[in-house]
Amino acid sequence: MVETGHFALVLAFALSLVQMLVPLYGARAGSQKMMAVGGPVAVTGFALTALSFAALATAYASSDFSVASVWENSHSLQPLIYKITGTWGNHEGSMLLWVLILTFFGALVAVFGSNLPATLKANVLAVQGAIGAAFFLFILATSNPFTRLNPAPIEGRDLNPVLQDLGLAIHPPLLYLGYVGFSICFSFSVAALIEGRIDASWARWVRPWTLVAWMFLTGGIAMGSYWAYYELGWGGFWFWDPVENASFMPWLAGTALLHSAIVMEKRSALKIWTLLLAILTFSLSLLGTFLVRSGVLTSVHAFATDPTRGVFILCILTLFIGGSLALFALRASRLTAGGLFHPISREGALVLNNLFLTTATATVLVGTLYPLALEAVTGGKISVGAPFFDLTFGPLMLPLLAIVPFGPLLAWKRGDVFAAAQRLMAAFAAALAAMLVTGLFVDGASVFAALGVGLAVWLVCGALTDLAVKSGFGSVTPAIMLRRFAGLPRSVFGTALAHLGLGLTLLGIVGTLSFGTEKILSMHAGETVELSGHTLRFEGLYPAQGPNYSEDRGRFVVIGADGNAKGEISSAKRFFPVRQTTTTESGIRTVWFSQLYLSLGDEGNDGSVVVRLWWKPLVTLIWGGAVVMMAGAAMSLMDRRLRVGAPARRKELVPSASLS
Amino acid sequence: MTRKQKRLSVIVAGLAFLGAATGLTFYALGQKASYFYMPGDLATATVQPGQRIRLGGLVEKGTIERGQGATVAFSVTDKQKSVKVTYTGILPDLFREEQGVITEGSFGPDGVFVADSVLAKHDERYMPKEVADGLKAKGVWQESKSE
Amino acid sequence: MLFWVIAAILTLGASLAVLLPLAGGPKGASAPGDHDLEVYRDQLSELDRDVARGLIQPAEAEEARAEIGRRILRLGAAGQADTTARRPSVATRLVATVAVLAVPLVSWGLYIKLGSPDLPSQPLAERLAKNPADSSVDELVARAEAHLAANPSDGRGWDVLAPIYLRLQRYSDAVSAYRNAIRLDGESAARQSGLGEAIANAAGGIVSAEAQNAFEAALKLDPANPKASFYLAMGLAQEGRTGEATVAWQNMLGTLPAESPWRRAVEQALAENAKRAVASGTPAIGPDAQAVEAAQSMSPQDRQAMIETMVAGLDEKLKQNPHDTEGWMRLIRSYVVLGKADQARDALSRGISVFGADSEEAKKFTAFAASLGLTATE
Repeated sequence: MVETGHFALVLAFALSLVQMLVPLYGARAGSQKMMAVGGPVAVTGFALTALSFAALATAYASSDFSVASVWENSHSLQPLIYKITGTWGNHEGSMLLWVLILTFFGALVAVFGSNLPATLKANVLAVQGAIGAAFFLFILATSNPFTRLNPAPIEGRDLNPVLQDLGLAIHPPLLYLGYVGFSICFSFSVAALIEGRIDASWARWVRPWTLVAWMFLTGGIAMGSYWAYYELGWGGFWFWDPVENASFMPWLAGTALLHSAIVMEKRSALKIWTLLLAILTFSLSLLGTFLVRSGVLTSVHAFATDPTRGVFILCILTLFIGGSLALFALRASRLTAGGLFHPISREGALVLNNLFLTTATATVLVGTLYPLALEAVTGGKISVGAPFFDLTFGPLMLPLLAIVPFGPLLAWKRGDVFAAAQRLMAAFAAALAAMLVTGLFVDGASVFAALGVGLAVWLVCGALTDLAVKSGFGSVTPAIMLRRFAGLPRSVFGTALAHLGLGLTLLGIVGTLSFGTEKILSMHAGETVELSGHTLRFEGLYPAQGPNYSEDRGRFVVIGADGNAKGEISSAKRFFPVRQTTTTESGIRTVWFSQLYLSLGDEGNDGSVVVRLWWKPLVTLIWGGAVVMMAGAAMSLMDRRLRVGAPARRKELVPSASLS
Repeated sequence: MTRKQKRLSVIVAGLAFLGAATGLTFYALGQKASYFYMPGDLATATVQPGQRIRLGGLVEKGTIERGQGATVAFSVTDKQKSVKVTYTGILPDLFREEQGVITEGSFGPDGVFVADSVLAKHDERYMPKEVADGLKAKGVWQESKSE
Repeated sequence: MLFWVIAAILTLGASLAVLLPLAGGPKGASAPGDHDLEVYRDQLSELDRDVARGLIQPAEAEEARAEIGRRILRLGAAGQADTTARRPSVATRLVATVAVLAVPLVSWGLYIKLGSPDLPSQPLAERLAKNPADSSVDELVARAEAHLAANPSDGRGWDVLAPIYLRLQRYSDAVSAYRNAIRLDGESAARQSGLGEAIANAAGGIVSAEAQNAFEAALKLDPANPKASFYLAMGLAQEGRTGEATVAWQNMLGTLPAESPWRRAVEQALAENAKRAVASGTPAIGPDAQAVEAAQSMSPQDRQAMIETMVAGLDEKLKQNPHDTEGWMRLIRSYVVLGKADQARDALSRGISVFGADSEEAKKFTAFAASLGLTATE
């Protein structure tokens, strides 16, 4: 089985070479047959990669220590779920997951792209094949997950204990679906540049892929943030760590792309810009892969460092980013400009959105790369953290968030800001009220906190106003309004949900940062502690034995106002003997949208334990908002418009399914 | 305004915006980035009390003292000089004697480094990169001694 | 074999994915314009919906309609230009052939270089479940270890595992296994002598004081235990007390049953002992009964003197021929036994300087000296 997987991987590499060259040549030579090769090859390539991945996952699940990567990253005593997720909890396996998702998207284009123009489809698949070929080669040459050991060791070296968590099952696959999903947008852009023309249907094709990728990336980042929050035991949800930034930059650029693609799709304007943005977004994904996989950065994500890998990925990076940008410089002038619009219009608002988002991306890029560049040039070591981003990213985001509710209310081509502002009066009043209530009645609220809460309420109410206005609130009878509401295009709901989710996330961030409280103290069993109206009694430390670890679990009872126990929180120190590593399992109790968070420190000589306790108001909204944003993207994907974009009603002219 | 003028004004506004953002970014880099030092570097560098820096090195053997509550004092050394550090909070799980750490904070007026964050190495297999590089440069740490 | 069949089928499938579209019949192509036209139509109808919803003002909508109309017209003009399909050229056929051949060639070529086709999968459960007779020793040990990890107080398990560790040369595991067995199931001559053997082997074959204690405990339980007697004599020989060692081994030969496997070991040890004695130039107190008798009949003072002469001879020999690891250890041990700690320390540092402070030998010496309770002086 293992060797079958290895062979399938090599075969998939061979197919990716064919996929890269044959359809490209076919599109140039005008050969229908050769262009038609792309589809079946992409699907077969995906099937083979999936087989290969399944073989590796089986090896992990069955603790086959004759496979080197299993031996290094698994242990027979691990629970089955962590054995399986361990498949991608290491460098080799995670790269295989990367190409699996890449070929998956390629296969999706092949299957659902039967209504694409033949040359566009051929070129898209060829570019997709080229990316695949580069990464297959990378895997086979520097990070082969199927390297064998003979004789096989009888026991493995265990998975990094920090990764032995359900988060590993969700976070990397979601994140990769996002990262790699943007490869489709990239391939479409490069294909358009190769052809030297952009079809009108181009944007209609690119937007759903952008939506899919953006949706998964949003989920991946949110999941990663929540995972870090509860697993690392520091109570933080975002650290401006270079690895986090590496995933955040494609998200920002992807958000910009999502919006500029709307303009292109509806008004055929901003073509060149959208194309460039699609290239940049995937380039940032590649940069993220490079930063994480090359060992340039040290973090929990850098599983193992090997200089040849870094150089190899750097070559891939240079080839694809440099190549696509050079092609862009050569060909962009051949693309025709699109429709006109007034600066104050829906289009103008979306351009403004792009301006802010790309600038914000640039500041994050500078903050992430500057320390690396400085070290390379002068050898000086600096770290750029939250204070830098607070000063640069923050001021860019605040005005952007403030103008978000205006965008959907402006008309295409020429809008009326005053009319939009009038419609937003109610939302504005609500925001102002929230701001005043926060500032005057909440203890310890700063001006910034009040402003933040107001901004969040503004976003949420703005999104609701958009829905109300579009269903004719106030001008028609409720019955008609309801019918109109139900008849609104799904994409309108998508926009409203995404903006509403953004507001919720902001509310969560402001709530946690401004009103959170914290206590560090050392406690003996039986002592109680009080934090923001919650009383906890420390019951003591209880040793327990897990499958591959031993732990000391500290139990705390939550005491209600009446003195009775309301529930329990427990936090544990786990010791994993194979890796000689200790981890902290934090204890969390959710009260409405807020959480009581507790983490254990060291044991003192006198039997006391250091305890760190946080009260985090509204913290769950941070991730809840992200889920709402994802729902918005999913809603948008269901819009009928995105399924048009091709001569579907004139079936006789469509090449009959190129897939057999 | 003609179409050309309109376009020009939009471009000028965009450039002004970008210029402001660039200026802000570099101002922030100068003000808010914290430099990394090892104890031996501090003799030559001028670090004001209160200036935020990152201090890295090994936790010196036998210097960890737990005070009352959750305050811990220890020394960070690069085997040439050592610096006393105090920290209030929960130390990372991998914090141990003779292991690499990076602390972030500033010097108090008494010359004791007050850290508000302590990072230990993430994994058994490597040291924080800055610490490893620094120790290598000082010839204290050899590749072969790494785990 | 099965693997090659699967590989062949996979290759065939992959090649077909390339070959079939190339070999298929001619396909009707849709002109790119058709797609665009459809989008423009949709844009027009959407414009109407937007006007109805008030998302665009009628004047602007009219303008947009004109824009879309112009695009449709341009499309009509461009669409006429290139709809003719070209005939496949020679180059096209060549590329197609290369593409079809590339799949099997690249994949098999690379796989032969990278793969390990002969290595079957080895899921752990399967390895542990198969007939013990077919299992490798490692697998049997793993099975026993898994059992003992679950039932750490199974003394019999430790008792069984300990000698296996010993044979696998996992000496420190053997030491702890024997200790566990003794702790849980009590002392026995076999366990104590096994423990001694494990300790001695863990220290590179040197019978340290700790090992000696274990062997002596074994002999107390069973005075005829050959392993304990053998190793105790070995310890004597290592101290340089070759004479006493020889006597002890010869006594063993006298008492061991004829079929005992220890006879050969003892004979070998005797022969080596004799050789070493000759080589070191000390009086050959070999297996000849006279010398043994002489040594036994010596007064303690004389014996002491004799031993000191032997040690001095060894020391002299090492000065001339310093690259004798065992010699140094014997010398160090001898001085320790004679109670001359200073000289022992001196010998240790001389030995270390011969091989260099970082050498394997130096580490061995230091460890050995430490096991004798001796520390190197700085």
